[in-house]
Amino acid sequence: MSDKILHSITAIFDTPDEIIHAAKKTAEKGYKNYDVNTPYPVHGMDQAMKLPPSKLGYFALVFGLTGTLTALALMYWMSVIDYPQVIGGKPFFPFPAYVPVMFEVTVLSASIATVLSMLIVFFKFPNNNHALHDTDYMRKVSYDKYGVSIEAKDPLFDEEAVKKFLADIGGKEITPIYYDNEEINHKNVILEPKFIGLLVVAFIVVSGATYVMMNKVLFLPPYTWMMSQEKVIAQDDDSFFKGTQAMLKPVAGTVSREHLPYLYMGKPEEAAKAMINPLLPSEKNLALGKKKYNTYCSPCHGYFGEGDSRLRGQFPNPPSLHSEKVRNWTDGRIYHVIMEGQNVMPSYASQMNREERWATILYLRALQRSLNAKETDLQ
Amino acid sequence: MSAVDYSQELSVVEGKPSLRSIDDVIVKPLESKPDKKFYIALSVTVSMLGIGAISLALSFYYGTGLWGNNNPVGWGLPIVNFVFWVGIGHAGTLISAILFLFRQKWRTGIARFAEGMTIFAVITALIFPAIHIGRPWLPLYLLPYPNQHSLWPNFISPLLWDVFAVSTYFTVSLIFWYVGLIPDFASLRDKTTNKIKKLIYSVFSLGWRHSNRHWQHYEMVYLILAGFATPLVLSVHTIVSYDFAVSIMPGWHTTIFPPYFVAGAVFSGFAMVQNVLIFIRKIFNFEHIITLGTLEKMNKVILLTGSLVGYAYAMEFFIAWYSGVQPEQFAFMNRVFGPYAWAYWIMVSCNVIFPQLFWFKKVRTTIPLMFVIGVLVNVGMWFERFVITVTSLSRDFLPSSWAYFKPTLTDFGILIGSFGLFFTLLLLFTKTLPVVSIAEVKAVADDAQPSHGGH
Amino acid sequence: MSSTSIKIDYIKKDLPDIVIKLGYGLFALGLIVAALAYFTDPTRAAYNNLIVLMFLTSIGLGALFMIGIEYLMGAVWSVPFRRVMEVLAGVLIVLPIVAIPVYFNMHDMYHWTHHDVVMNDAILKSKEPYLNMTFFTVRIAVFFLLWIAFYFMITGNSRKQDKTGDQKLTTRNIRLSAIFMPVFAITLTFASIDWMMSLEPHWFSTMYGVYYFSGTILAAIAAGTFIIIKLNENGYFVKGINNDHYYALGALLFAFINFWAYIAFSQYMLYWYANLPEETFWFIARWEGSWAYVSGILIFVHFVVPYFGLLSQPSKSNASRLKFMSLWILFAHIVDLFWLVMPTYSKEGVKFGWMEIGFPVLAIGIIIIVFSMLYKKMNMMPIGDPKLKRGINFRL
Repeated sequence: MSDKILHSITAIFDTPDEIIHAAKKTAEKGYKNYDVNTPYPVHGMDQAMKLPPSKLGYFALVFGLTGTLTALALMYWMSVIDYPQVIGGKPFFPFPAYVPVMFEVTVLSASIATVLSMLIVFFKFPNNNHALHDTDYMRKVSYDKYGVSIEAKDPLFDEEAVKKFLADIGGKEITPIYYDNEEINHKNVILEPKFIGLLVVAFIVVSGATYVMMNKVLFLPPYTWMMSQEKVIAQDDDSFFKGTQAMLKPVAGTVSREHLPYLYMGKPEEAAKAMINPLLPSEKNLALGKKKYNTYCSPCHGYFGEGDSRLRGQFPNPPSLHSEKVRNWTDGRIYHVIMEGQNVMPSYASQMNREERWATILYLRALQRSLNAKETDLQ
Repeated sequence: MSAVDYSQELSVVEGKPSLRSIDDVIVKPLESKPDKKFYIALSVTVSMLGIGAISLALSFYYGTGLWGNNNPVGWGLPIVNFVFWVGIGHAGTLISAILFLFRQKWRTGIARFAEGMTIFAVITALIFPAIHIGRPWLPLYLLPYPNQHSLWPNFISPLLWDVFAVSTYFTVSLIFWYVGLIPDFASLRDKTTNKIKKLIYSVFSLGWRHSNRHWQHYEMVYLILAGFATPLVLSVHTIVSYDFAVSIMPGWHTTIFPPYFVAGAVFSGFAMVQNVLIFIRKIFNFEHIITLGTLEKMNKVILLTGSLVGYAYAMEFFIAWYSGVQPEQFAFMNRVFGPYAWAYWIMVSCNVIFPQLFWFKKVRTTIPLMFVIGVLVNVGMWFERFVITVTSLSRDFLPSSWAYFKPTLTDFGILIGSFGLFFTLLLLFTKTLPVVSIAEVKAVADDAQPSHGGH
Repeated sequence: MSSTSIKIDYIKKDLPDIVIKLGYGLFALGLIVAALAYFTDPTRAAYNNLIVLMFLTSIGLGALFMIGIEYLMGAVWSVPFRRVMEVLAGVLIVLPIVAIPVYFNMHDMYHWTHHDVVMNDAILKSKEPYLNMTFFTVRIAVFFLLWIAFYFMITGNSRKQDKTGDQKLTTRNIRLSAIFMPVFAITLTFASIDWMMSLEPHWFSTMYGVYYFSGTILAAIAAGTFIIIKLNENGYFVKGINNDHYYALGALLFAFINFWAYIAFSQYMLYWYANLPEETFWFIARWEGSWAYVSGILIFVHFVVPYFGLLSQPSKSNASRLKFMSLWILFAHIVDLFWLVMPTYSKEGVKFGWMEIGFPVLAIGIIIIVFSMLYKKMNMMPIGDPKLKRGINFRL
């Protein structure tokens, strides 16, 4: 048999009381490089082995708080500095809204960091090449027995003395464990080439896949269906009537609701003769007229028809409506001006319906009368 | 009636099994080939999953017009199902983490299974936000990464808080579950003779050696994870409730939503866990590990959380009246007497009335009865999310916008598919991983700990 | 095992004189302050009296709740000192007396007591079926009666068990606790709504009862923790109550600090977010002038300090840390009640003077006196409880 290197001497115990006792005695004897293996954590073992308390709590605290502050800082930067927007009327820095995300990031960073620290830093995992793996000892302590393993590299180690000691404290099946070939060469370095290689490959694969997905695949059907949808866009060519826009003009002769075709376009004199104001100057009609006049006419003509409107200086002011000419126009002639516009004035046909137009003319007449009152009005 | 002797501590594991037999009985399903019953069950769940897959494929092809979502009920079954499944997941974390913090030993028989259910429930839940965002193939827009639009996600929106919350919940639950599995993978590795299985178990066990120097850190990390998972699970369904409560909708904007949703989640989760465990313990002969006492305690939790939900209903009604806010008062009258009254009464009877039967020990300890009540609780909780979401939307501030929402066949297909996914994953789980934590149950068996307490 | 008394070598000691003297001293001092206060400024005195009433309700009702929870959950670790909670629950007996001065000053405190105001305000008018003096009086009377009735029933059974060791009494108490739980939930909620939320009768929050509950539980556990540790250190229990029991108390305190913060934040954030004027005005009032400082101090005192003070594992089982934190949390609860109640009285800013110190002193005096008076009549440990031995031997 080739010269195998000894890793440790192991012993098996049957009950929790025995293993606690064995651990205590081993620690008291002065051994430092030893281990106790149990299928589940046994209460009081930490004290029996005189182990110092685990520091992982501090890892959790530090990583957790780092997560909280990082989340807060990032959200602050994104929402206050980089691209501030007013959302829902909330301030740029809506702290209560940040609390849920801060909390979640805290838990996430603390959990991941603590577990990774435990596995990588404290346990130096993954490590499937430890001397104890694949031994009868490991099979027993995995199942229903408890064991102590005293390692050869302990300064107080002496093969015979250890075997005797283990027998004295009640150990059974005292067996030596030797290193297998691959185990002896096992160096547990986190940065070994295979692992780095794996990371590089993973990085290339993930970033490559993301690039291909986002820039190539998403431009193929069916993802393009949303970009080119079966709907009509107003400015596109129309598929039914070639040479026209999809947003077709109404058919010639179309009349919109509440409007009738105006028969006197371009014919002011005929309008003046043909049309008569159907409304009586009642309080209601004058009130309507006043409202519409103030809305539509006053910006240019002023509130009293004198042409001194609030647009003075910015827009050519119209001549006063109290002139002889206008006072002598019929209601129909004024109606024509509303419908067609005149010089700079546009058509107001679409702004008022027929009743409103006649009511406005009534009101205008009232205004005109106010500056040219008859003797009898004052009595 | 037999008198209870309060001076005696009840065994967590009945029958004083040896560590050996615990190990054997838990590992047995993994070593044996699946039998006919398994395949029948699997074919049922996979068919349900298939219905869901077809419904989803149709939804992708034809668009979300296939669903019932429309104006005014823009949030329909996808959100209801999402909240339902996330809620079911909560029982698992509560059993693993919160009962661990309370040092309740009876959790050991069910913790592994419940955590697995959490993970599967969250996976199922995640389908829904994925499909009901406009372009499911661009989900990364939800995350804050530098992009060409120079845009960041809206951190003020509770829907974004949901992204963080549910993904954190999934990640941490997965880590917690995995950390618990490491010693069991090691035990499986040392027990199996199949070369391929041994390789797989070795890789996943990371080389665990059952060393006490490792157990020491392991227990600390387990405690830390439990300590984090507890507020995490409360926060997840709280943030889900914020989706509704931050709005100004009558029936949605009430401050009691966060603890009400959390209680409701635990309520439905425990009912689901109880239902599934009734089958598992029978099929795999775990009756002495997942004891009737365990089931009874779970039913007590169901009773407690059901009462909390009932309290929340009462508070909502009272304050709706007390506030004098008419839209709020109308919203609640509408729930009781409006077009969805049928859903409302299903909800109230299943959530408030039937669980009260658990006051009686006879009901708590009779398996068929508790199973039925568990099913009713889940029905009631689904309807609760339906009532909250749909009634408020279908009749809100503007009467001219009122409409009656009807889910479509596609909606139901996706819902059936979600149950299919959940139960398929669960069935596969029973055959690939130990559904009971070997190490934890060994640790609480009688005579497993040293007699003088070790202190 | 037999169902007769378990042999525990418990010897009852008398409370030291200093405690009795402290109790009567604080009580007398507080009483003088209260009398002077009512003589000089009855409205302000009534507000302070209300804070004392709600504080004592927290202690008494919270303690009874903890007893009920212990029975319902079959908890073992808290059995050795359950009697401390039972004695604290005795504070419920004095609640009606403490409530009387507040009751007769309600007209100056609560808007809705003014009939003409109510008739002219559409919102208040709609609440009138609930917020009227008759129904209010009936409610608070019923609540006091129920609380005191459950107190006598549950603690009575426990005390009887000292003599007989009958396990059926435990079964009976478990049933009583089960019935008490929904009664507790409803009465606590409506007591907080009646006495405190209706100070601002236009405001409402479905979370209010839960918020008060979170503070109540903390106050009860904190008061209990302080007394338990003090008594244990001076040999009033048998040997065996150690750091593991303390850890359970510390962990509960830590958990409920987090719970309070969660409830407080949720209530605030939801109203902040929706920004509805009919809901936000209550919080805006607590940001007015010097109230902003109190709001900030509340977060610091009620959450930040206890959170970091009880975060680490060892701190949860450290006797001196727990004693300090318990008293701190009791102080924090008074600050919480002050923040809830006082802004209605002094909208422009905080009014802090000898009254605001004297009334809490009176509250502490009342607790100590009730404790020492009830203690004379009973054992400090439930020596007949079948779970006592397991409780003493409880280890993590």
